[in-house]
Amino acid sequence: MSERVMDTMNQSAQDIARVGENAGKAPSIIVDALTKRFGGQVAVDRLSFTVPAGQIVGFLGPNGAGKSTTLKMLTGMLQPNGGSAKVCGYDLLSDTIEVKRHIGFVPESGAVFESLTGLEYLEMVAALYGIPSAAARERIQQFIVFFDLSFQTLTDKLLGAYSKGMRRKVVITSALLHNPPVVFFDEPLDGLDANAAVGFKALIQTLAREGKTIIYSSHILDVVERVCDRVIIIDKGRLLLDGAPEALVAEHNSGTLEHLFTQLTGGAELERRAADFAKTFRS
Amino acid sequence: MSVQSTSVVVPDGRGRSFGGETDSTRVLRRLFLTLFLRGRSSRGLNRKWAPKSISSRLGWSLIFYGVFGLTALTFLRGSVFVLSAFLHAMTFFFVGVFVASSAGEVLFNQLENDILLHRPVTARALLWTKITVLIQVSLWLAGAFNLTGLIVGASMERGSLWYPVGHVISTVMEAMFCTGSVVLLYQLCLRWFGRERLDGLMTTVQVGATVGFILMAQILPRVMPYISDLDGADTGRAVWFLPPAWFAGFDAAISGQGGWDAWGLAGLAIAATGAVLWAAFGRLAGDYNEGLQRLSETSLARPASGKSGRRWSDRLASLFPLSWWLRDPVERASFTLSFAYLLRDRDVKLRLYPAIAPVLIMPVLAVFGFSRGGPGAAMSAMVYTAFGGVFLGQASMTGLTILQFSQQWQASDLFRLAPVAGPVQFCNGARKAIQVFMMIPLVLIVGLMIARNNGEPAQILLLLPGLMTLPVFSWIPCIKGRAVPLSRPAEDARSARRGLGIVFALLLSMVLSWTSTIAFQRGWFIGFLAVELVIVGILYALVRRAANRAVWPSIE
Repeated sequence: MSERVMDTMNQSAQDIARVGENAGKAPSIIVDALTKRFGGQVAVDRLSFTVPAGQIVGFLGPNGAGKSTTLKMLTGMLQPNGGSAKVCGYDLLSDTIEVKRHIGFVPESGAVFESLTGLEYLEMVAALYGIPSAAARERIQQFIVFFDLSFQTLTDKLLGAYSKGMRRKVVITSALLHNPPVVFFDEPLDGLDANAAVGFKALIQTLAREGKTIIYSSHILDVVERVCDRVIIIDKGRLLLDGAPEALVAEHNSGTLEHLFTQLTGGAELERRAADFAKTFRS
Repeated sequence: MSVQSTSVVVPDGRGRSFGGETDSTRVLRRLFLTLFLRGRSSRGLNRKWAPKSISSRLGWSLIFYGVFGLTALTFLRGSVFVLSAFLHAMTFFFVGVFVASSAGEVLFNQLENDILLHRPVTARALLWTKITVLIQVSLWLAGAFNLTGLIVGASMERGSLWYPVGHVISTVMEAMFCTGSVVLLYQLCLRWFGRERLDGLMTTVQVGATVGFILMAQILPRVMPYISDLDGADTGRAVWFLPPAWFAGFDAAISGQGGWDAWGLAGLAIAATGAVLWAAFGRLAGDYNEGLQRLSETSLARPASGKSGRRWSDRLASLFPLSWWLRDPVERASFTLSFAYLLRDRDVKLRLYPAIAPVLIMPVLAVFGFSRGGPGAAMSAMVYTAFGGVFLGQASMTGLTILQFSQQWQASDLFRLAPVAGPVQFCNGARKAIQVFMMIPLVLIVGLMIARNNGEPAQILLLLPGLMTLPVFSWIPCIKGRAVPLSRPAEDARSARRGLGIVFALLLSMVLSWTSTIAFQRGWFIGFLAVELVIVGILYALVRRAANRAVWPSIE
């Protein structure tokens, strides 16, 4: 895989220079005052943003900020308490099935049906989207090669026996199998080895160049900074910042996206606290 | 870089289960049936080793139910209605308890939401396909049990060749009625009480449904001697309130027996099944989507804790004598973990409460037997009291067995990592949690029920022979270190081997109940208890020794 990865990386370097290329394109996602409450607690608070087609958006926030809840609402898994959203022109509330038909989602949990083989699982997912058997197999073949999946494992072993990385590759494949125009990734690199991660980053950049909209939620900020055209940072369910990473970093004079993130979300004191805590281990 | 097409060919022979299916309802039905038969998780299993799955266990279950169905041969000289009442009462019991215990996990599986809820499938399609699979498996069980009955009904003295036709139809209706009733209960609770309380409600519904199924199935055979065989004589009013009797009436009507009473019951069976299905899958299916979404929500509510920030279960463990009983820190940690799951975890509660429901039914039947009057009533009440005691003795084993299974079973690897020699301390902590959380309240409830409602106060002593077996039964699951709490996949809980274990326990219960009742009647009770004490003492020592020697079971 290494030669292909190097090619991919070279290609990716050119792609990263493409910030703001999608400005002016028709919005693929429109979120307007989206709100979610769990009992008395507000998880997402009147969140609004618009994403044009073909853009890669890093969706960031500290733990409990409301990222996963927002993604679950935008994928039709959770009912919002207020506001509205449109994905690919379909209303999230009234055209939920059409929204689901046009999106792919890699959940953070990476859940799969462990008692199916990888191939059975992917064929099952393809069938849910009405992909004919022959076309599904062709798509699966492409992903098998791309992810360097062991074919023997995919056909013979149940998913419960897969390594975490293998399972993640199957989940990513299942999200892209039906060629959706909008893809939501929640911590997609979790469990992937370095080569697979490089390949994956190149893949999403290619997908964006072909017009797909990518919402990428992750805590690995240097990857987000390199891959995403734009970042949206939320905290306590509210929008904090929205813009191109370089522009935001320059505007706040932060040096890196990671520094900007910690400044905004109260993590600036973390290094001092870590040093204090480390002292407690001294005997 | 784009995803490249290559020459790799996916062979046709394997993984064909879902290939070619494009209708999402059919795909989902295949999926849920596959998941049901294989279980939802596996650890390091190659596909070729899959016989360890549910399907092989189901095979054993079918054989067991088929053999148990041979009891229909004893009805060769009776009437069609009596045979059918027996068959439908037992089917109602098997199918009802199976559906009630499986429905929660099948209908509301949190992990499944991350896989399916963002796919283009409707909640109605999900609900319907899951229910279809439940009905399908129910019918396998019902079919195995009723096979002999079908032949008996056709060949018995007062039987008819139409009987098998009628009985097959009525059994299918019964399976649909049972499944529809459970789903309807869930939907109604969701609608009336809201999704905020779904977790608690699901447990309550499941326990309620299980108790209802068991009661209705148990009561019918017991009222049969008091009603006619629907051949025109006096028909007891009770049959109109017992669903298994409706379906038995259908069989009698199709077989040309029982007159208008049979047709009335048959009409009731058809109307009730239709109404339940219409309400569950037609009118209230929309609420299912709400229930699924509720599972995807992250609960921000914290469990109640005291001013000190400690849970009451934790405070309970620090009070004497529990603090002394739990002086081993590993046992104490296992106790706290087990107690928390018994109290809070929906998954554990959904399995535990329906499993212990039969323990509470025995005293009810004891009361029923006594209040019925007649020459055999006192004896019947005594046997049920003794049965209640034996069930109590075994309830601890049941609880401990159930506590082994969890959807978070992989987290129990933590125990293996801990610097602890073997699993016995974890098992013992869980065992103690079961005693405190489950056995003390159960013994008090059953004791009070027997004491308040039966004629002879001394009869409560008949609980003792069963209760004396409690220490032995509570250690049995610990023998091979299997009773480590939350250490096995939830799917493994559906095991026919466990079903066979229950049959063995039931046989033992019958022997112990009858012998202790006879000893009680004839004035040998003290001697009986003394002999039992010696036997129990020896068994206890053997079981403890085996449990202490247990090593960690291998990870498959």
